Amino acid sequence: MNKIWLVFMLLSSAVLADSKQPDARYCLVCHGSAAQGNIAIKAPNLTILPDWYLRQQFTAFRNNWRGSVANDAHGKEMQAVANTMNDAEIEQAIAFIRRQAPVKLPISVNTTANVQHGQQLYQQCQACHGAQGEGNAQLHAPPLAGQHNWYLVQQLSAFKNGWRGNQSDDSYGQIMRQFAQSLPNEQAIADVVAYIDSLPSTQSSLRTTP
Amino acid sequence: MSNYFKTPLTRRQCLSLLAKAGSSSAVLGAAGIFGLTNIPVNASPVALKPLQGKNRKVLILGAGISGLTAAYELERAGYRCTILEASHRVGGRVLTLRHGDFIDELGSPQICPFDDAPNLYFNAGAARIPAHHTGILHYCRTLGVELQLFSNHNKNCYTQDDAAFNGQPVRIREYEADMRGFIGELLAKSATAGAMLDQPFDEQDLDKFIQFAQAYGDLDSSLTYRGTDRAGYASGGVTTAGILKQPRPLPELLRSDFCTGAMHFAEIADQAPALMTPSGGMDSIVKAFLRQLTTPIQLHCQVSNIQLQPQGVAVTYLKQGESYTEQADYCLNCIPAQLVSGIENNLPADYVAIMSQLGRGKLTKIGLQAKQRFWEQEDIYSGISWTKQDITQIWYPQHDAFKAKGILLGAYSWEPQISDRFAAMTHQQRLATAIAQGTKVHANYAQHIENGVSVCWQRMNHMLGCGAVWTEELQKTGFKLLQAPAGNHYLMGDQLSLHPGWQEGAVRSAWHALADIERRETLRSTGAQA
Repeated sequence: MNKIWLVFMLLSSAVLADSKQPDARYCLVCHGSAAQGNIAIKAPNLTILPDWYLRQQFTAFRNNWRGSVANDAHGKEMQAVANTMNDAEIEQAIAFIRRQAPVKLPISVNTTANVQHGQQLYQQCQACHGAQGEGNAQLHAPPLAGQHNWYLVQQLSAFKNGWRGNQSDDSYGQIMRQFAQSLPNEQAIADVVAYIDSLPSTQSSLRTTP
Repeated sequence: MSNYFKTPLTRRQCLSLLAKAGSSSAVLGAAGIFGLTNIPVNASPVALKPLQGKNRKVLILGAGISGLTAAYELERAGYRCTILEASHRVGGRVLTLRHGDFIDELGSPQICPFDDAPNLYFNAGAARIPAHHTGILHYCRTLGVELQLFSNHNKNCYTQDDAAFNGQPVRIREYEADMRGFIGELLAKSATAGAMLDQPFDEQDLDKFIQFAQAYGDLDSSLTYRGTDRAGYASGGVTTAGILKQPRPLPELLRSDFCTGAMHFAEIADQAPALMTPSGGMDSIVKAFLRQLTTPIQLHCQVSNIQLQPQGVAVTYLKQGESYTEQADYCLNCIPAQLVSGIENNLPADYVAIMSQLGRGKLTKIGLQAKQRFWEQEDIYSGISWTKQDITQIWYPQHDAFKAKGILLGAYSWEPQISDRFAAMTHQQRLATAIAQGTKVHANYAQHIENGVSVCWQRMNHMLGCGAVWTEELQKTGFKLLQAPAGNHYLMGDQLSLHPGWQEGAVRSAWHALADIERRETLRSTGAQA
């Protein structure tokens, strides 16, 4: 169906220029003017995420590992976009994200969270995500430090309730889901996120291309 | 099946739900529909004093109705304008789709497949104008936009509800005649039985009231409803005697949710007859503004940074991969608040915090091209049929009767869950759903439909929503804050009105900002600190 559609679009050359977005600037509509994330759209900060992780998540959306659940309106938004992109366009988009200069993020502190308790809970996270939340490419674990706290809360909840990590062929997602399920409640999620929030962003060292 | 008339509603619930359709004046009622804009409904438009040689530059971000209104008024007063538009087109949510138009929905790009004919167009965004929207009508009048009547309420259209009449469509004419008949009978009988209002009510009043109930329901002399020719005749009625239709039993009528919802749609202040719409499509208004403007509108300019400066505003934007910065005395920002929240800026934190809390309006419209104007064979010219299915509404064109083909509105829901369901489908699935559900209203619907367009406004590029959703609480704490300028930056658009989703809200928000600029310029010219 998609192929037929593309042929049709190619025939309509007058509007072709409008349908092809140079430099994947589509990304910045949702993810913010420098891919720094946008709370209003619940779109994460992409600048801290290394190329391999961005690629992996495009795969996850295209494989229906993310965005499969009816109520996951935000996941479905990204899935719809991922489904219209071919491999070359995904690489273009990743390169485009790499070119965005980091911007300072607004700080929002959750005053009801217990950072010390969060630090204890984080013990089980650091084997994969690193002591500084820097991520680990070998283990396919993304960096966490520098990500928006509201996004981390949202994704821990998504793993916990099965919006992510619920597909048999999504092995990394399934592993993460088990850990998320070990967090007993919203307070535990808030606490561990508050601790991650206290870690300095390791963003600059993560940039794989200038 | 989640639909706004799923359960019986209180009047308040009904009005608040219908307000989601962009009709908040119904909720605000006599409090004054534009109370918070401080401009009376009948005020003449803002009159900016000519600058008379002074040099003032204004950056307008977004070329929808609020941006175009501001640009038109500012140019006339001698301000230099720069108009930046992120998308590939002018008009914002005034979107009239025709043959070959590109529909820039994230994840579902389409090219409008309608035949190339002047009567085959679809207002995928703004579609109707009530007579008391004097702001937008001011520009229709002065810029020469031809209007025609638009009908929300057509008695020959249908209501369809799986819970009643075996799911068969029923003419609104019949449903309403019967419902009024039973209400009239109940009123008349309770009045004669002495059931009284808590108001002074003498014999004469009572007599008149019973006459009213009789007229309301078309009751016979014994104050009983036995059917009425208001429902149309079962047969005859012109050259032979008309045979009345049998009234449907009241319990059966009540099984349909039409009586608790859509039946009252055209009672809403903004939806009541007579409504208007521009001939040839709503974008006639956009074209009228463009005929007047001398400033070119720069398309494909995506704003990436907004910086307040001591004497003005600097805006950086991306155009074809290159970054440009423009400075101006004032910035009129019509970008949807949910997107401003993701643009780098030095605006006050509390100001941006309100923007990021505004909800994204979720609305879906589907337009269908029909090979034949089959609705005319069913005595339908204009108006809306209502169904409890997700498509909710079918609109019939009010223009170009008897032409070969026509464009129907095949679905229109402002219920967020319904719009989410449509958004989750591919375009082809949306069309298939619209056709399958429409078949319950018009048998053989599928054989008439040739192609279609679908627009999920929460997915449209550079908008990601249709009409800001203000909670009551946020409106209390945030509306005036956002409406006030931050330095020389003004947020505008229908999002900053109590009429989100209406062009009137956009026009009034522009007038509100321009009035403040005028006030500051007056102060500046007298040497005072603005």
